[in-house]
Amino acid sequence: MRRELIGIATACVGLWLGVLPLSAHHSFAAEFDQSKPVTLEGAVTKVEWFNPHVYIYIDVKDANGKAVNWALEGGPPNSLYRQGWRKDSVKIGDRITVTAYLAKDASSTASIRLVTTPDGRKVFAGTADDGGPKQ
Amino acid sequence: MGPVPRTSDGRPDLSGAWEPNAFQQNLNIAFGGVQVPFQAWAEKVFKDRLATNGRDDPEGHCMPPGVPRTETTPYPWRVIQTADRVIIIYEGGAHVWREIFTDGRGHDDNVEQTWLGDSIGKWDGDTLVVDTVGFNDRSWLDAAGHPHTDALHVIERYRRLDLGHMEIEITIDDPKAYTKSWTVKTHPQLLHGELMEYICQENNKDVEHLVGK
Repeated sequence: MRRELIGIATACVGLWLGVLPLSAHHSFAAEFDQSKPVTLEGAVTKVEWFNPHVYIYIDVKDANGKAVNWALEGGPPNSLYRQGWRKDSVKIGDRITVTAYLAKDASSTASIRLVTTPDGRKVFAGTADDGGPKQ
Repeated sequence: MGPVPRTSDGRPDLSGAWEPNAFQQNLNIAFGGVQVPFQAWAEKVFKDRLATNGRDDPEGHCMPPGVPRTETTPYPWRVIQTADRVIIIYEGGAHVWREIFTDGRGHDDNVEQTWLGDSIGKWDGDTLVVDTVGFNDRSWLDAAGHPHTDALHVIERYRRLDLGHMEIEITIDDPKAYTKSWTVKTHPQLLHGELMEYICQENNKDVEHLVGK
């Protein structure tokens, strides 16, 4: 279920004009483990476009083929909005791939860095300048 | 970029929406080699907070950032300068604001202890000098966990450098936590856009996952 990311995905954020760098209201390292990157692929089941963080939920098949629902924490909607994201940038049912960092509490929670959208764009959706890894 | 705008009485006009350029300072206000003159107990508290990766940072629980962290959180803020006060509306933190009185009054002798304290401002040439006391001891100076007490006294020197740039020199004076006062600088830039609503408490799911180590 948890595949280690080999190498660092190349960010292709040129389509999305950033204004403010993103950051969190909490310490990255208090919640996530930068030594545990993952790549997760699945269908979007829910999007929470609320402060202080966007959450995208996706169903990911585990090794037995069972769907596990992951909570993927992104940046604050204010920062993502200023970067070009909109509430409907990913929709329920979209198949997306994300690179993220696992939560330290071993829950099915991760901090998003890059989202590969259905049309193949790799878009930064995470929390930069928070003390976590750069992408 | 254009010159410093001025009010009708010739003062620099600090009004505008400002974007912090201080993300590293939000993580650690002493970023860049500032030597922090800790008292022993304050250094221990700071090291304990570092060891737990800022797990208990009040801002992670959507409490206000306090002063001067209001200027270094990653959310913009708007200055509204009037004849008798400067009002700052902060997008981040817990949607807080400050009124900095510039009408010549002093601090209230019976000031309540609050997250953002009691602020008075005076002009020193083209620099607005903001003196703030009356803090509670509940906020951290940054995510790393530099502590302060209710003896905190903050002096901020706001200087608009040109249309789009500002410098704030911040002096931390807390004789209960530090052996002497210490100073950092931060450099906000004019925001291209407007403030947005930010209700941190709306969906703060982090708390249950903030394990620290």
